[in-house]
Amino acid sequence: MKKYLFKVHGTYNIIIGCGRLGANLANTLSDEGFDVLIIDRDKDAFRKLSPSFGGLTLNADGTDYDVLQEAGIQQANAVIIVTNNDNTNIMLAQIAREIFKVERVIARLYDPERDCIYREFGIDTICPAILSAKEIDKLLGQAAAHIREEAV
Amino acid sequence: MKTKVLLVGGKSKAKSLAVSLLGRGYQVTAINDSHEECLKLAGINKLNVFEGDGTKPFILEDANASDYKIAIALTSKDEDNLVICELCKKRFHVHKTVALVSDPRKTDFFYAMGIDSVVCAISAVTNIIEQQAFMEQMANVIPIGKGRVQIAEIPISSTAPAAGKKLWEINLPKEVIIGCILHGDQIGIPCGDTKILAGDVLVLISGNGQELAAVKELTGRE
Repeated sequence: MKKYLFKVHGTYNIIIGCGRLGANLANTLSDEGFDVLIIDRDKDAFRKLSPSFGGLTLNADGTDYDVLQEAGIQQANAVIIVTNNDNTNIMLAQIAREIFKVERVIARLYDPERDCIYREFGIDTICPAILSAKEIDKLLGQAAAHIREEAV
Repeated sequence: MKTKVLLVGGKSKAKSLAVSLLGRGYQVTAINDSHEECLKLAGINKLNVFEGDGTKPFILEDANASDYKIAIALTSKDEDNLVICELCKKRFHVHKTVALVSDPRKTDFFYAMGIDSVVCAISAVTNIIEQQAFMEQMANVIPIGKGRVQIAEIPISSTAPAAGKKLWEINLPKEVIIGCILHGDQIGIPCGDTKILAGDVLVLISGNGQELAAVKELTGRE
């Protein structure tokens, strides 16, 4: 099995799931000069990457141990898990953390209700619904402040 | 009070397991996210059926998951089974969780995540096929302790080298014992002087994959 080689000095990140969030993040990290490898089982998903993307792509199922090993998960500084399935993300995050001992694991979860599962594992989670709600609330607050200012 | 068992997901497996558990006097509830499967399950007498995605905490809460003693996750996806069992264990404090896995290499990982019992259908089936294909004379093999120990049923034919010999005359591997001899309707626990006769069925307990060597010694087959 071929092993990918990486620059020693850089920070190496693995992204699992090349959806809108995964692809966007991969583009950003690559532009900032990080080493990035992105995994997706759907080959067409990589079309979302920008032409300037300088990282690697791996077309395989990220829940397979062999694939994770091929991706060099043990050398990764961070693993970011953003597939469109919460349960897959939870399982992958636990595998990365408990089997491969990755220091930094970040997972995107749509449903924040399952937090009792991953809380104790030291996995950072991002919940789009909560983030969006906060942002909308902030915008509403700004709008309300604006109206008040005009009234004065 | 009856022991309450929760079955989550699964198609034919959930059905046959439900029938078998109900027959043994358990109180069984099945959760399934497919409407069609729920209709089929509802045809089973005395079975409680819940339609919904068992990986969602509120569905498990609606089904009163905390009242159950055993939860069994039977969906076809490993990640779903993991989440179901972890939710049952950590959030609803179900006493025992059992998960089905399809990837044999994830078995240890599931145990490490605190699931009490992990069943890998693929490795179980391949084990059985291997035994059936390579040991025609071995009628029944039960793996215990994650497959490290095997209990096998071995019929002795008249041409077998062990037929007519006393136990101490047979050179069995160290990690193998003959636990029981079935002679017609009689059941005997053997000692060193017990004679093995043609037509007997031996119940063999063996560790660390020694059963093949033992079978060769007893029946002359490889």
